[in-house]
Amino acid sequence: MDNTLIDVKDLKVHFFTDEGVVRAVDGVDLKLERGRTLSLVGESGCGKSVACRALMQIVRNPGKVVAGEILYNRGAEGGQAEIIDIAKMDPKGKEIRDIRGKEISMIFQEPMTSLSPMYTVGNQIIENILLHTNLTKEQARDLAIKLLDQVGIPRADRLVDEYPFRLSGGMRQRSMIAMALSCNPNLLIADEPTTALDVTTQANILDLMSDLQKSYNMTLLFITHDLGVVAEIADEVAVMYLGKIVEKSDVYTIFNSPRHPYTQALLKSIPKIAIKREDLDPIKGMVPNPFRRPGGCPFHPRCPQAFAECKVLVPTTTQLTPNHSVQCLLYENFANRIATEQKQ
Amino acid sequence: MTAQAPLTPTKTVEMRDENTILEVNNLKMHFPITKGISTRVRGWVKAADDVSFFLRQGETLGLVGESGCGKTTVGRCIVRAYKPTAGEILYRNEDGSVVDLAALKPDEVRPYRKDIRMVFQDPYSSLNPRMTVLELISEVLKVNKLESSDTIQTRVGALLEKVGMRPEYMQRYPHAFSGGERQRIVVARALITNPRIIVCDEAVSALDVSIRAQILNLLESLQKEFNLTYLFISHDLSVIRHICNRIVVMYVGKVVEVSDALEIYTGPRHPYTEALLSSVPLADPNGREGRQRIHLEGEIADPSNPPSGCYFHPRCQYAKERCKTDAPELRDLGGNHFVACHFAEDLKLAAVIK
Repeated sequence: MDNTLIDVKDLKVHFFTDEGVVRAVDGVDLKLERGRTLSLVGESGCGKSVACRALMQIVRNPGKVVAGEILYNRGAEGGQAEIIDIAKMDPKGKEIRDIRGKEISMIFQEPMTSLSPMYTVGNQIIENILLHTNLTKEQARDLAIKLLDQVGIPRADRLVDEYPFRLSGGMRQRSMIAMALSCNPNLLIADEPTTALDVTTQANILDLMSDLQKSYNMTLLFITHDLGVVAEIADEVAVMYLGKIVEKSDVYTIFNSPRHPYTQALLKSIPKIAIKREDLDPIKGMVPNPFRRPGGCPFHPRCPQAFAECKVLVPTTTQLTPNHSVQCLLYENFANRIATEQKQ
Repeated sequence: MTAQAPLTPTKTVEMRDENTILEVNNLKMHFPITKGISTRVRGWVKAADDVSFFLRQGETLGLVGESGCGKTTVGRCIVRAYKPTAGEILYRNEDGSVVDLAALKPDEVRPYRKDIRMVFQDPYSSLNPRMTVLELISEVLKVNKLESSDTIQTRVGALLEKVGMRPEYMQRYPHAFSGGERQRIVVARALITNPRIIVCDEAVSALDVSIRAQILNLLESLQKEFNLTYLFISHDLSVIRHICNRIVVMYVGKVVEVSDALEIYTGPRHPYTEALLSSVPLADPNGREGRQRIHLEGEIADPSNPPSGCYFHPRCQYAKERCKTDAPELRDLGGNHFVACHFAEDLKLAAVIK
């Protein structure tokens, strides 16, 4: 039985700015399995947020989904597959609005800016419920209180009528989660949900999210740059660099035997609590300007193992094992490609 | 014309030993709460309340805690951006004389501003976008008349090279640089006066992991070269572990634990330190199923209305009756390990490093 919830194929999201085209997401393949947690990791500007926004068709102007498919299986688990392509939908159309906030919902990084300061927390949750279900206002309110209680907000029946500024950062993020869960989503996208929080609050939120994932049987797409958080929460990990997924595997493989030089460098550059090292190994240079992307492999100017072909050949996906893929010429048999590309 | 008043007060104060460059004793920084346009003070936010620690020459001292615990306030008091409400900040001059920075009037502090400098968290907001790199770095020299204008350029250029940037870029504006480069400029600006102490307030928190490692390495090599002393304020316990010799843990304006860096991780003695450490996500998925995390119930206490007794007792899993009434003092457990907990000797706390 195929357990795929969303199958992203060769997704491209480009931003058409006055200065030129930014290829923020440049050919991403991703498979989201039901009930699993996929973590998308990368430095700022690698396109991880844009890729996830594309799944809900909320890429901001001047960004556009220019190519690729986002095949979403709407059917119930184990039931008849009902596959639709989100990438083809009109971002303002009725079809996507039915899915957005109901079947696929999202939590953002800044709980302060993603909640409206003008409405009470309860109001904002109830709005989403009324929009997507046939419940009455009273029922919706009871559900909102139940949800707030479930995400660990004390005295939920009173806090439902509070404005967001009265809540602390952790509580706001909890109410965001309550809102996202209000319609029983199939997929929850969490875009750096704990980055703005203290470590103690972060630990609580992470545990809450994995508990809720189990009880709701949701798929979780977790975007973060913090490898510690990835190691705690992810089942699968996809590492992104300049709009491409350079390595993808299960969390143990990524941490125990990373193959792509970027993943290896990323893991080496973080200070660890358990081991004291004399010097950290930083990745040399910096993420290149999006308008001046290097030719060939996008990582080659910073790569310690780069060789001549890396400057000209764009690596394609190499499947190392059934669940471990990498985009790097080190693992690719590219001899044939040189010949064919030279002919052209 | 009357003779200028001597800049250093004549009062003589003693510090613990020759190696100590800075000693903070019972530092208090309370901010008044007013409402609307009324000037009536309705209460006080005790951002720093009875903070004591010391800095040894050439070491890196980490100051950790959750947001709102007062760690930034302490840093700002030390650079005298704030005038502390009470307490002493003893600073040992290069000639060995000791001065209490907390007691100085604004114009008396000026000579010490070049000795104690600050690196801020966000390099996007801490650099004036309308000043060139040269102006940004050299402003402090001009204001304090520390260098004649014809040699300033050479000096800034030499320093830019030290922090790993090309001197040709000094006529550019901050927008031309990436986050990591900007942070290098901020570091250069702190270094230009040949300081002895640098207060790094979350200096790498806003940077990407790969850039963060570059800046941490830079800070370490500069420390060796210029014999700098760092007060490193951060909430990131893995960064602190990497760079610090000793650690001060703060909770709601108070110091709860001071110890050598390794000891905090191998044997914390305060329940708050234990909880803080257990919530750090480890970048290692192996064995994550069996890992036990301590959940801190409730929210961090309000510094304008702290709980009675030990401020941590409402969230502490080991709290007893005594904790609700008696505020624990910071006591010496021996071996330079200080803890503010009544039951530090009796508790068996979990360590992150076995």
